[in-house]
Amino acid sequence: MPRWIPNEPGEEAALLEALGIPSVSELFTDVPRKARIGRLGVGPGHEEPEVVRLVDQLLDRNKPLSKYANFVGGRIASRYAPAAVDAIVSRSEFYTSYTPYQPEASQGMLRALFEFQSLWVELTGLDVANASLYDGATAAGEALLFCRRIHEGQRFLVPASLPWEEKSVLRNYASGPGLTVEEIPYDDRTGRLDLEFVRRSVAGGEVFGVLADVPNGFGHIDEGIADLKEILGRIPLVVAADPLALSVLEPPGNYGADVVVGEGQGFGVSPSFGGPLLGLFACRTEHVRSAPGRIVGATRDVDGRPAFALTLQTREQHIRRSRATSNICTNQSLMALAFVVYASVVGPRGLASLQARLAEKARTLASALGGIPGLQAPRFDAPYLGEFTIELERGTAAEFLDRLQRKKVLGGYALADPRPGNDASPERILVATPDSVGDKEIQKYARAARTALEEVGRSA
Amino acid sequence: MTFQQARWDEPSIWDLAPPQSTEGPPPIPGIPDRLRRKAAVRWPELSELEVVRHYTRLSQMNFGIDTVSYALGSCTMKYNPKVSELLARRPGAADLHPYQPEATVQGSLEVIWRLERLLSKVTGLPEISLQAGAGAHGEWAALLMVRAYFRDRGELEQRTEVLLPDTAHGTNPASAMMAGFTTREIASKEGCVDLDALRAAVSDRTACFMLTNPNTAGLFESDILEIAEVVHGAGGTLYYDGANLNAILGITHPGRMGFDVAHLNLHKTFATPHGGGGPGAGVLAASEALSPYLPVPRVVKNGRKFRLDYDRPKSIGKIKTAYGNFGLDLRAYVFALTHGEEGLNHVARRAVLNSNYLGLKLGTSLPRPFRTLVKHEFVLSGAPLKARGVRTLDLAKRLLDEGVHAPTIYFPSLVEESLMIELPETESKRELDEFVAAFQRALADTPENLRAAPRSLSVGRIDEVRAAREPLLSWKDLRAHAAKVEAPGSVGAPP
Repeated sequence: MPRWIPNEPGEEAALLEALGIPSVSELFTDVPRKARIGRLGVGPGHEEPEVVRLVDQLLDRNKPLSKYANFVGGRIASRYAPAAVDAIVSRSEFYTSYTPYQPEASQGMLRALFEFQSLWVELTGLDVANASLYDGATAAGEALLFCRRIHEGQRFLVPASLPWEEKSVLRNYASGPGLTVEEIPYDDRTGRLDLEFVRRSVAGGEVFGVLADVPNGFGHIDEGIADLKEILGRIPLVVAADPLALSVLEPPGNYGADVVVGEGQGFGVSPSFGGPLLGLFACRTEHVRSAPGRIVGATRDVDGRPAFALTLQTREQHIRRSRATSNICTNQSLMALAFVVYASVVGPRGLASLQARLAEKARTLASALGGIPGLQAPRFDAPYLGEFTIELERGTAAEFLDRLQRKKVLGGYALADPRPGNDASPERILVATPDSVGDKEIQKYARAARTALEEVGRSA
Repeated sequence: MTFQQARWDEPSIWDLAPPQSTEGPPPIPGIPDRLRRKAAVRWPELSELEVVRHYTRLSQMNFGIDTVSYALGSCTMKYNPKVSELLARRPGAADLHPYQPEATVQGSLEVIWRLERLLSKVTGLPEISLQAGAGAHGEWAALLMVRAYFRDRGELEQRTEVLLPDTAHGTNPASAMMAGFTTREIASKEGCVDLDALRAAVSDRTACFMLTNPNTAGLFESDILEIAEVVHGAGGTLYYDGANLNAILGITHPGRMGFDVAHLNLHKTFATPHGGGGPGAGVLAASEALSPYLPVPRVVKNGRKFRLDYDRPKSIGKIKTAYGNFGLDLRAYVFALTHGEEGLNHVARRAVLNSNYLGLKLGTSLPRPFRTLVKHEFVLSGAPLKARGVRTLDLAKRLLDEGVHAPTIYFPSLVEESLMIELPETESKRELDEFVAAFQRALADTPENLRAAPRSLSVGRIDEVRAAREPLLSWKDLRAHAAKVEAPGSVGAPP
C-alpha cells in the first residue's frame, strides 16, 4: 500500500471504534448488492522505484524533440523556457493550491493571475482579460458564443485557412445553439482573406461575428486583418493571435478587434504532447459581463490594504447555472502563472528580439528550401514571422515528413485534415523555426528535403 | 495550531520598475508598417532575481495542499504525489510535440492507451477518451455525443430536455445549455433523487438525466438501479458526473449502476495537482451505443504499434487542440499504477471512513440535515449561527486562521447556510482530529472575532462586493482609475 494513505498501526481501528463499527464495509451498506462489483481487474500496485522504472520504460519509447532538427510548430510551440519559470511553477504553494474561492488565503495566486490578465491586456490592446480558458481553440469557441451574446445573428465566419482542429472545435461550440460556421476563402497566391466575400456575407445578414488569425493558419501575416472592422461595423471581430507575435505586431485592439484569443503555451509551458495548454481571452470593458471564465479583480481588505478576489461571479456556472456565460470551472491557472513569469523573465524587449531572431531564421530556411525541385517554399507570397507554409509538387506530406524523420529532421506539420474524405487537399506543410534551430539544422533540413523529393521522384 | 501567513508588502510587478513608454521594436523585414507595433509592450524590464523573488514572495501568501489540509467538499483535495511531478518533467514526456510523427511518440500513445484501458475498468464503460480539458468540458462534450446519438436515431427534434437533481453541480446545467438542451431541475427528497418526482418528469422529451453518485450531499443514491430503469424506460440516457468517484472506487462503477456516459476528473480522484484553479483533465467514458461519437482521434493498438485513428465517421470531431492534457494523464497513470487493485479500493474505503468519522465528530456541533451514513463528504448547516449574529461565511474565514482551508460553503443550496466537508484518504487521523479541534475552537470564538476573521493571513477580510461593484480588472484599469481620482503616485493601488 503506498505511503500516500496514512497507515499508522491502530489508526484505522481507532476510526472504526469511534464509529462503533467492526469494519469499513459497514459504511457501504447503502450501495445495493446488485450495484456492487467484484474486482476492477486492474492488477496489483507497485512500489515507487518500480513505478519509476515502468514509466521510464514507456517514456523511453518516445523520441523527444531535442533528438531532432525540429521544425514543428503551429499553435503549439517548442520553445525554450528559462529554468526560472519551472522553479516558480514548481512551488507547491502554487501548484497544489485550489481555485481561490477563499481570497484571503490565496492572495499569491490571485495577484499572479491579476498580473497575467494585465499582461494579456497590454499585448492585445483590449481592456479585460479572463484568468484563462483550456486552450486557444476552446478560447475561440468561447469567443464565438460570446459574440452571439453581444450581437444578433446565425452565422460566424472563419478563415478557410484556419487549422482544421480549430474549425472542428468551433463547429462543436456552434452546434449547441444551432449556429453555423462559414469559411472565408483565401487568395491562392497570397493566402490573404477574401475581404469581398466578407463584405458580401455581411450584406447578406445574420453574421454575428468574424474570426481572423494572426499569424494565419499558413503562418503568414495578412495585412487585410486590419481592414476587417471597417467592413464589419458593429459586428464583433475576434482576432486569434500568437502572443509572441504580438510583441512586434500592432495590438489587435488598435484595429478594431472586440475579442482577442490565443494559445499561450509557448510562454513557459512545455509542449507535453499537446497538453496542458493555455487559452487566452480578452475583450472590451463594455462587454465584460458577457465574458466567459473566472476574472480576478482588485479591491481592498477591511483594513484598506490592496487585495484581490475573483469577481463578477454572477456570470459563472456556480451562481447562474443554466444561464451562465460558460460552463467552465477548472481553467489553466498554473499555465497562466507560467505565462506571466516567462514574459517577465524574458522582458518586453527580450520577447521582441526573440521574435525577430525566429523571423530571421525562417527567412534563412525559406531561401534554403526555395530552390529545391518539387517543393514550393514559401507556398504563399506573403510576409511571415517564425513560420510559413510549403507545398509539395509530388508525393504526400505524410510520406515526405516520414522520410525526413528517418534523417533526424522533424519537417513540420501536415496541414490537411487527417480525417477520411479529405484526400483532395493539397500537400501542404507548416514549417516553423523554433529557437533550437540554427544554420546547421536549416542546412540539414534542406539536404534531407532534397533527397526525400528525389527519392519520391525516382519511385514515381 | 498557531499560524501566521507571510505578509509581504510586495508591490505589483509593474510597480517594481514602472516601465517607460518607449517606441516599438525594430521593424521586421516584410511586415507591413500598418501591422508593426508602434509602442513597446508596456511591461517592466526586471532582472531574473527580481522576478523570482517577486513570485516567490507571492507564493508565500497562498495556501496549498503541501502546507494545509483542504476541507473543500466535492473538490477531493488529496496529496499530489511528488513522483508524478518528477516523471511528468522527463524529456520523454514534456519535450514532445503533438504533431511529431506517430513513430516517435509510441511511448505516449501507449500511456494513453493503457490509462484508457484502466479507466474503462474503473468506470465499467467500454470506451474512453482522455481529450476533455476538465470536468465541465467533458460534460459538454458528452452531451454533444448524446445529441449526435439522438440525431442518428431521428429523435433529436423531440429530445430537447436534460434533467438534473437540484443538488447538481452548477456546471451540469451550464453544460446542458451550451450543448443546446433546456434543463429541468428535480427537487430531491432527503438529499437524494425523489423517484416519484423523476418518474413524473421523464418523458419522450428527455435526452439525458445527469447525476453525481455519491451526490453533492455526500449520500449514495441507493435507488440508482431504479433511476436507471426510469430514465432508460423513457428512452433517455443516464449521465455520470464523476466528480465524486473517489468514494466508490472498486465498490461499484458507472457501468454497473446503469450509466451510459460519464466524465471523470483526473485532478480529483487521480491526484493530479489543481494548480490554483487548473489545469484539470477530463475523461470521457461511453457505452457501446455512445462510443462511436467520442472525439477524434482515438488511440488504437495494431500489433505492437500504437496509432491515432481519425476514421470515426460518427465522431463529434474535435473538442480541443491535440489529444488532451497528456502531462496530467501521465500523473494519473502513475497514481493508478502505484495503487493497483487493492490500493484503489483502499482509497475509497479510507476516504469514506475519514468522512464518516469527521461527520460523527462535527455532527455534534452543527446540525446534519440528511442521514448520517455518508460517502466521501457530508453537509452541515450553519443556520444556528445566525442566532449569534454570525454566518457560515464567518466560520469559514475563522477556520482559515487555524491554518486549515475552509469547507465549501453555500453549496448545496438546498441546505441553509451549508458547509460541505471532505478530507480525503490522504489525511491522517491526527489531521482529522486537528481539524475537529480547529472547527470547535472557531465555533467557540466570540461573534466579534468570527466576523473579524481572518487575522492571520496576508490580508484581512476582503471586500468582494466592492470588487464587483466597481470592477478593476487589470493594470490598465488601475491606471485609468488612478488618473480619474488624480492621486499622484498611486499607480497600481486599488481605490
